[in-house]
Amino acid sequence: MDNQPVYTSPPGIQQTRKRKSRDFSQLSPFWNVIANLIAGVFSILCVFPFVFVLILSFTDEDTLAMNGYRIFPEKWSIDAYSYIFNVGNQLLRSYGVTLFITVVGTLLSLVIISLYAYALSRKSFKYRGFFSFIAFFTLLFNGGLVPFYMVATQLLHIKDSIWALILPLCVNAFYILIMRTFFLTMVPDAIIESGKIDGASEFRVFRSLVLPLSLPGLATIGLFSTLGYWNDWFNALLFIENPKLVPLQAMLMRIENNMQFILQNSSMMSSAEGLEIIRNMPQDTSRMAMVILATGPIVLAYPFFQRYFVQGLTIGAVKE
Amino acid sequence: MSKRNLLLTLICIVLSFSFLSACGGGGSSSNTTEPPATTTEPPKDTKEAEAKSAEKTDEKPVELIWYMIGTPQKDTDKVFEELSKYTKEKINATVKMKLLDWGEYDQKMPVIAASGEPFDIAFTCSWAFNYVTNARKGAFLEIGKLLDEKGAGIKEVLHPAFLEGAKVDGKLYAIPTNKELPAQDVWRFNQKFVEKYNFDISSVKSLESLEPMLKTIKEKEKGIVPLGGDKNFKPLLPFDYVDESIPIALYADGRDTKLMNILETPETMQALETMHKYYKAGYVSKDLSTINSNDYSKTGKWFTDRANTAPLADNQWSASYGYKIVSTPANDPLVYNWSVTGSMNAISATSQNPEKAMEFLNLLNTDPYVRNMVGYGIENVHYKKIGDNRIELLPALTEGYTVPGFALGNVMITYLQKDDPENKWDEYKKFNESAKNAPLLGFNFDPTPVMNEMAALKNVKEEFYPPLMTGTVDPVVNLPKAIKKFKDAGIDKVRDEMQRQFDEWRAKQ
Amino acid sequence: MKATLRFIKDLNKNKAFLWMVLPGALWFLFFSYLPILGTVIAFKQYRFHKDGFLASIINSQWVGWKNFEFLFSTEDAYIITRNTILYNFIFIVSGLVCSVLMAIILSEIVNRKLAKWYQTGMFLPHFLSWIVVSYFAFSFLSADKGALNQLLGSFGVEPIAWYSETAYWPYILVLMNLWKTIGYTSVVYLAAIIGIDKSYYEAAMIDGANKWQQIRNITIPMIKPLMIILTLLAIGRIFYSDFGLFYQVPRNSGSLFSVTNVIDTYVYRGLKVSGEIGMSTAAGLYQSFIGFILVLTSNALVRKINKDQALF
Repeated sequence: MDNQPVYTSPPGIQQTRKRKSRDFSQLSPFWNVIANLIAGVFSILCVFPFVFVLILSFTDEDTLAMNGYRIFPEKWSIDAYSYIFNVGNQLLRSYGVTLFITVVGTLLSLVIISLYAYALSRKSFKYRGFFSFIAFFTLLFNGGLVPFYMVATQLLHIKDSIWALILPLCVNAFYILIMRTFFLTMVPDAIIESGKIDGASEFRVFRSLVLPLSLPGLATIGLFSTLGYWNDWFNALLFIENPKLVPLQAMLMRIENNMQFILQNSSMMSSAEGLEIIRNMPQDTSRMAMVILATGPIVLAYPFFQRYFVQGLTIGAVKE
Repeated sequence: MSKRNLLLTLICIVLSFSFLSACGGGGSSSNTTEPPATTTEPPKDTKEAEAKSAEKTDEKPVELIWYMIGTPQKDTDKVFEELSKYTKEKINATVKMKLLDWGEYDQKMPVIAASGEPFDIAFTCSWAFNYVTNARKGAFLEIGKLLDEKGAGIKEVLHPAFLEGAKVDGKLYAIPTNKELPAQDVWRFNQKFVEKYNFDISSVKSLESLEPMLKTIKEKEKGIVPLGGDKNFKPLLPFDYVDESIPIALYADGRDTKLMNILETPETMQALETMHKYYKAGYVSKDLSTINSNDYSKTGKWFTDRANTAPLADNQWSASYGYKIVSTPANDPLVYNWSVTGSMNAISATSQNPEKAMEFLNLLNTDPYVRNMVGYGIENVHYKKIGDNRIELLPALTEGYTVPGFALGNVMITYLQKDDPENKWDEYKKFNESAKNAPLLGFNFDPTPVMNEMAALKNVKEEFYPPLMTGTVDPVVNLPKAIKKFKDAGIDKVRDEMQRQFDEWRAKQ
Repeated sequence: MKATLRFIKDLNKNKAFLWMVLPGALWFLFFSYLPILGTVIAFKQYRFHKDGFLASIINSQWVGWKNFEFLFSTEDAYIITRNTILYNFIFIVSGLVCSVLMAIILSEIVNRKLAKWYQTGMFLPHFLSWIVVSYFAFSFLSADKGALNQLLGSFGVEPIAWYSETAYWPYILVLMNLWKTIGYTSVVYLAAIIGIDKSYYEAAMIDGANKWQQIRNITIPMIKPLMIILTLLAIGRIFYSDFGLFYQVPRNSGSLFSVTNVIDTYVYRGLKVSGEIGMSTAAGLYQSFIGFILVLTSNALVRKINKDQALF
């Protein structure tokens, strides 16, 4: 009851857009330049390594080994990408896997997390203390790798299946707590009460009244979750043996792990064999090319994501 | 309140119940995690099943799961289906090999073993899925007796030192791969420069004896690394270590039996001083202590480095690099624990069919048909014969079936490749016969009483080793610091424990 | 009997909510609570048993607190604990200040199109793994071929062996961390800022508040709950550290350990060969336990100041 609804009156995004030209809430030109400078310089610093990796991927392998990493290499080459075409199939498949787990996983986790968090946010839920505690307690202890592995493989039987990449990441107690806070602060009790008076069921109220109001929260959790899935390689390392199910980041990680392991142990391995293995490893430039091919698309797609993300936020604020 | 408690208790009951059932499932879980196993494997006492299969051949064959290190290959299943046709007839078992990538094997296998997931055979060695540690923890089946019963062929082909060196506390847990037995270091030279300056490499043995050559190269050849290496570089020291990650050792010539901290020996000080001199003179890369790639060998812009050798290694290096390499010994070949256990295959403690697994290992080490199919794939698909015992690899092998030959059992029954000399395996045998045993061969230290110290010492080692061993820092200042840090981390306690176990072990010999 | 009946009635009354929490509760059961029972390993010397995991646990020997000792017994224990806490503290503070600042800047930039470009750019580091970043850093910091030493050389400055000089690394690590995380976290704050009701600002302007006053009195207070949540989240992980940042980026250089060794890297180096899962479980338990205590304390503090903004 004591929650102050944050959004009381229709906000004026649309209105502000319309009278953009003479919006007196704008920064003064001087500070605008400063702001642009700070943000611009920093974002260039962020983009630069990526460009650098791009350049490296087009550097001639021998030149790289001789001169080290250079921004302007002496000799250019597209050899690195020819290596990729040999494993091209794998790359495409990994894209598919990553895309699938990211989309399905994010949706699934949004559903589970928001349902759980909503129930916790409702004061009329008798057991909410207990279930809050259940969620919160998991932040205290994690069971360790081996027991986790055992439950997943021998109880749930998700080893070597796509679920091994989706389920372990789909709930997170902190996200539940964040989401609950969103529900508590953004959804006025009055709205829920009005829905109940109209005779709607709890699920109905949740779907048609609460969710539309919580889009900023959903968008935030969704973003966290998407990135979590996109960048995850650990579960693949643990559970996946079938090369057809290896997601993108795990593929990159595998290559890096292999390089490090082999170089560390090459002296221990039978010498000539060890050399042969090293020779079959992708070269520096090919690894860079992999990074480019693996991250390029999401980087290019990100602006679109971002648009929907921001749109989701603003819609959430407009609807009342 | 009481209802809440009730609910809590209820959940607790459900929780513990499902946990128990989960673990109850753990014992017989082979029929759950690996669906093929359920169909192929009757839930009987293995011995009984074994006896029956010998009696009547229509008994369903068992499936053996074999974990192997190496990048997963697209034709693995195809090759093993073909192989299984043969093994089904021979030993009434089919085999499935699961390749886990190089960088993952050492991370994944301990988890698989610790969780009790069933499998039959796994690759193990001194550098991945550590043999001694995991044997002690109980991951592998003790196979001494099984070897006598089902693996007679293996005992014939293996040099006795292999089986002796592979014993942990007097018991055998894995079959070593028959390959080069001792380890020997060589100085490798880029032939181009040896010719150009007319160096006499046969005069080289110690690190110090390289100096005149390094000096010449440094002065006359710009952009050439005189002495190559990476962050694991260490000057050659005449020691045999109890544990490769802790600087406690005996002299490799076995002159006494008192374990010592090698950092306190005059040999170490001298070698490090030489390295520091070389570092200052620019004979090694300034980044040596953090380099983790071997780019120099790709470009050929180097003069010499140190490597582990094997018979005919010069040829293989030259072929692999695309320019000529020559080498000269830096020490004598010695059989170490780590060289004996450099490549092995163990039977899992969780295996449901240990006898079958041993029969398969026996085939792998004695039957050229099995061994060559495992190593080179299917004839006329992955390779073709160009002589009686000589093959040419086909492109399909590189594309679909590249596996680490040294890890897959007896290499001396494999086909010769196109450019191999006829006497290749004889050279190996000669090399193996020539070797002497290192003083610690057969002794395996049990670190359990000093686990905490070991963990601390490994950190200290990683802190001080690369900069000291590569000559990056001055040993006169930094070696005493390192020694003190090692002492603070408990190296003396570990040494005493090692000595105690070593004396005990020696008394039993 | 009566209690049971009441209980069933209660269950029925809360049916809808119970259905809502069911999927999540099941998940917690399987992925958190069952594995949690496995933490007993931290107090055991874990040895394998052929009958599977449970048999292994039961048959392993109790060793009390022995598995925890390696985290405390040496001089290094002090260093790794200090490094972990100090770095994380600096990361939390600098990350909070910089990303809120960046979010405000981004929200205030007049040309929205440019702002979007900036924001996209800032997000890129999130997609590069630390290993790739470490290549990049090496191309700058390499003693032989590094760009930085070449630059210094052209000014006549002696080359610096970056990977053995401890003095620079605290700064390098903090900057690297900021560089990689600002883009990500500022998006979250930006989302919150965009979500703020514009009528607050309109009202403020009518009252004659200038831009700074608006930021101080509207923007910051409005995103404060989010700041608190994210900070508490970070505090809970104060004993954990980003392995890649502390291991890959300094290239595991021994000379730098006094400023780069943290609990995670220490445990990794100490146990990577022996793989004692009892000890690694012990380390994990220690990390999460301290994190839990810290979250409870800081949450209690927040609660004392403002009850509504506390996490729980």
